[in-house]
Amino acid sequence: MNGDVFRQIDPRSSIPLYVQIADRIRIAVATGDMPPGGALPSVRHLASQIRVNPATVVQAYRELEEAGVVESRQGAGTFVRELGEPKREAERQRLARRLVRQLLQEAAALGVTREDLEEALRVEMKVKLA
Amino acid sequence: MSYAIETFDLAYRAGKHFEIRDLALKVREGSIYGFLGPNGSGKTTTIRLLLGMLKPVRGTISVLGRKVPDEMARIMAQTGYVPERPHLYPYLTLEQAVRYHAAFYEGFDMAYAGEMRRTFGLPLDQKLSHLSKGEMGKLHMLLVLAQRPKLLVLDEPTDGLDPVVRRDVLSALLDFCSQGSATVFISSHLVHELERICDWVGVLDNGRLVVELPMQSFKNGIKRIRLSGAPSLVGDTPFVVLQRETTGAEQVWVVRGWQPPMAQWFQGVGASVREVVDLDLEEGFVELLRSSRAPVS
Repeated sequence: MNGDVFRQIDPRSSIPLYVQIADRIRIAVATGDMPPGGALPSVRHLASQIRVNPATVVQAYRELEEAGVVESRQGAGTFVRELGEPKREAERQRLARRLVRQLLQEAAALGVTREDLEEALRVEMKVKLA
Repeated sequence: MSYAIETFDLAYRAGKHFEIRDLALKVREGSIYGFLGPNGSGKTTTIRLLLGMLKPVRGTISVLGRKVPDEMARIMAQTGYVPERPHLYPYLTLEQAVRYHAAFYEGFDMAYAGEMRRTFGLPLDQKLSHLSKGEMGKLHMLLVLAQRPKLLVLDEPTDGLDPVVRRDVLSALLDFCSQGSATVFISSHLVHELERICDWVGVLDNGRLVVELPMQSFKNGIKRIRLSGAPSLVGDTPFVVLQRETTGAEQVWVVRGWQPPMAQWFQGVGASVREVVDLDLEEGFVELLRSSRAPVS
């Protein structure tokens, strides 16, 4: 696993730490950084590595398990589940919606209008496509 | 729910100017409890009361289910304590210091101590008088963790340490916490540091407990709200107003106990909410102290 997956955990953010950790793992799974069948770091290792409360890591793993992204095997640890294409697709869409939600929140805080956003999105996507 | 530390109606006085009043702490078993407060707010005094080193003028204290000070020896056998200014004999080598400390604790885990010593990169044969401040900070943490205590009481354990050492020391602490169900009571004025590791927060100011909450509620509940048309007189609010400021046509309120449906309350008084901003722990902490010192009328 790529050690940078958790680099940008931000304790000052209003997004709870366990959600941030779970999101990093979702992204790593969606991009293939964490392949199906691969083991997640142990709670002990991750808590100590990124210096968060072990309970926070446990909570993140539990959420991922409930969402069907990972499975825990008694005594062996937590592993990325094999996701079929429909599930992967659903997961990508979920991530996309979350990104947009964050964008909208930040835009509102900065006083950016909807029209500004739509225009910016058009411009940026064109730049990327060209 | 059982508590690793519980005080009731605790009071203490030192001289004319400092007192601890009505202190009711409840530290849940297994939690990592951040004890925050500015310098001089009484954090160290509280810790000394908890560990039987000072005598309260009133109130009761129980630690690990036992009475303070009657059962102090049994409490301390299961408690790892790093005081504000720890004392170790400077002429001992690191190895001797570990053995000396181990002699006081039945369950001292020599193998674990060795493992941490290697992780920390501490030299066995070095005299303590020759260790750097950072190395001493690591050693203090090593000694209390290797006790495998049920309760850790850490008084500003990373104060004065550089960021790299702080990181190593906290990693070791969290590694220990994930191995079992120990309770950690950690005092600090370094708010950021506590933000990522604690699940409970207690804020002390001027000898009084201002608030005691799960970290997440603390962080979620305190908001800065930008308003227009807000009333100048505050009647009954569904939240606690910590701070109010007016700049031009706009008002900024800092409130505690906020939940989104409460925006309706503002409509009811003819104000409109322009923005609700989350505060991080440090900002929340500062606003909380400001208001506890000068309550909003």
